[in-house]
Amino acid sequence: MSFPLSDVIVGILSTTLQLSPFYLFAGMGEIVSEQAGVANMGLEGIMLLSLMTTFIVDYATGNPWVALLAAICVAGVFGCFFAFTAIRLRMDQIASGLAIYLVGLGLSFVIFNTVYPSGLTPNYIPLPSLLTNWNTVPYVGTIFLKQDVMVYVSLVLVLVTAFFLTRTSLGLRVRAVGENPKAADNMGVNVNKVRFLAVIFGALMFGVSGFYFAGNFVPGFQTDVIAGRGFIVLAMIYFANWKPYRALFAALSFNLVYALQNEYVSLSGFGVASVTTLFNMLPYVFLLALIPVFGRKARVPKFLLKPYRKG
Amino acid sequence: MVVVYAGGNLEVALSSLFLNPITLAGGVQQIFVRFILFYTMGLGVGLALKAGLWNIGAQGQLLIGMVMVFVVYTFLAFLPWPVLYIAMILGAALGGLLWIAVPTILRVKFGANEIVVTILLNVVAINFAFFMLSGPIKSSGTALGFPHSIELPAQFKIPNIVGGTPITWAVPATIVLGIILYLVVERTPFRVKADTVGESHETAKYAGISIPRVMAITMLAAGALAGLAGATYLMGYRYELDIGSFSTNYGLVAIICALVGRKHMLGIGLASFFFAYMTIGAESMALSANVTTYVVFAMEGIMMLGILLGNYLTERRFLV
Repeated sequence: MSFPLSDVIVGILSTTLQLSPFYLFAGMGEIVSEQAGVANMGLEGIMLLSLMTTFIVDYATGNPWVALLAAICVAGVFGCFFAFTAIRLRMDQIASGLAIYLVGLGLSFVIFNTVYPSGLTPNYIPLPSLLTNWNTVPYVGTIFLKQDVMVYVSLVLVLVTAFFLTRTSLGLRVRAVGENPKAADNMGVNVNKVRFLAVIFGALMFGVSGFYFAGNFVPGFQTDVIAGRGFIVLAMIYFANWKPYRALFAALSFNLVYALQNEYVSLSGFGVASVTTLFNMLPYVFLLALIPVFGRKARVPKFLLKPYRKG
Repeated sequence: MVVVYAGGNLEVALSSLFLNPITLAGGVQQIFVRFILFYTMGLGVGLALKAGLWNIGAQGQLLIGMVMVFVVYTFLAFLPWPVLYIAMILGAALGGLLWIAVPTILRVKFGANEIVVTILLNVVAINFAFFMLSGPIKSSGTALGFPHSIELPAQFKIPNIVGGTPITWAVPATIVLGIILYLVVERTPFRVKADTVGESHETAKYAGISIPRVMAITMLAAGALAGLAGATYLMGYRYELDIGSFSTNYGLVAIICALVGRKHMLGIGLASFFFAYMTIGAESMALSANVTTYVVFAMEGIMMLGILLGNYLTERRFLV
């Protein structure tokens, strides 16, 4: 092959890192939410809504930061709604999560279609790169320094989430509420308030993920454009045993497998779509193969999916 | 609500929501096509739910079922007609069963969460179906455009009950299937076993119920039913497989039907009919109000929330 091997490796590693923030933001959000005992299955619906918002606001204002803010706000609104149904109304979390997903799936496309009836996606203005002049540093420059600012933010978020859950009093309360809400209540923790905050935090992070999806995955908005990638986050944090660092590992290895197969498919130049789709299965099969290894030791937060009623 | 926001006319919208499904040409057929699909898949989802297991992957099993219809048709073509016909239907059920065997084994042997595994397998199923469609079961007729299978020959289509009416034999067959499952599941000690496993594993263990057995039976049956739904959908309505056949997530609607039908084998039937009717109504409403039909998803989600809210309110009245 005429491609220098080092370029290929740099490309693979760079893609691995580039795709991670989508899974990391959502992953940290869902970890906090599930540690508090609430699984938000509507995450992909919320992501679709904030992705749609990102495209519309980004084009209307020309400022991606405003789009980010708008995406987070939209996610927050739907997060509040989910929290209200799951915590206050004590609805089945999976059922109401899936309902939110359906609402997000339909509504995002309807709104997008109303704003842009032609169905064409407006030009997306990406976030500015911070370290453009570091490109020249060999290898390291392309892999680590040229990345979108959100890549660094997401890596910091993993550190912060890990610190938050284990070293801060609010973080400990979050875990207590998911592990033993009765005991937490007896100790004077407002169980449902902590759960509410955790779910809202999660939803805000889904908003950031939806925003990040706009510039880095599929160029444009269609129905169901996230195509299950949001739900994959649920699988990742399951393997990660609800631990932030392991979620980072899960996200990076998933993306590495994805980047490897992607690079292989494009280099080998299969004209045949059939072979490509077989390779596209690999990252998911990889995650599946991890289950017997890691799933065995999974320790689910004890009161995950169980609503709490005082008294 | 959503449609009015999107600029529709309320009166037109309402009349198309409730009347169009029965007055428009093809409406009744569409209702029954969806009804069969939702009911067959919903039965499976509801069965697994009785044992406390969430089959989020009914869509994946449905796809594999549809693929299997064509795999059997292509590779077992030497069989005589009636045998091949039955083999295609059974093959679809077997495909769904094999597809759900993975989460079942992982759940029973390794305790892996079935929600996570079925979600993952949905994505794998889409890619796998796409692979089969663009290779082994591709129609050699047309090379242009998106890959699709051949159309099933007439003798493999499920016939209509009376010529001219749009209702196929699959409708009574599905209803009979529902009644059989009602008799087998709701009217035998199996119901208590499944409910106990669903409520509490400790109680089930104490009562001497084999938890792995109940979980395996309900899960595998759920997969087989979803696969079977693929056969009736293809052979009774769609006749050919293309990307359009797997763009909508019917698996989620099946979950809604199972929940709304309160996991009762006959209740799911009523819920499925209701949702089939509403889906077609919503689609025609979206068309007449000039809104994209994807509004239907949002409406299904809102209906589901409304029904959950109803459950909450009735429970509250009894509890407080």
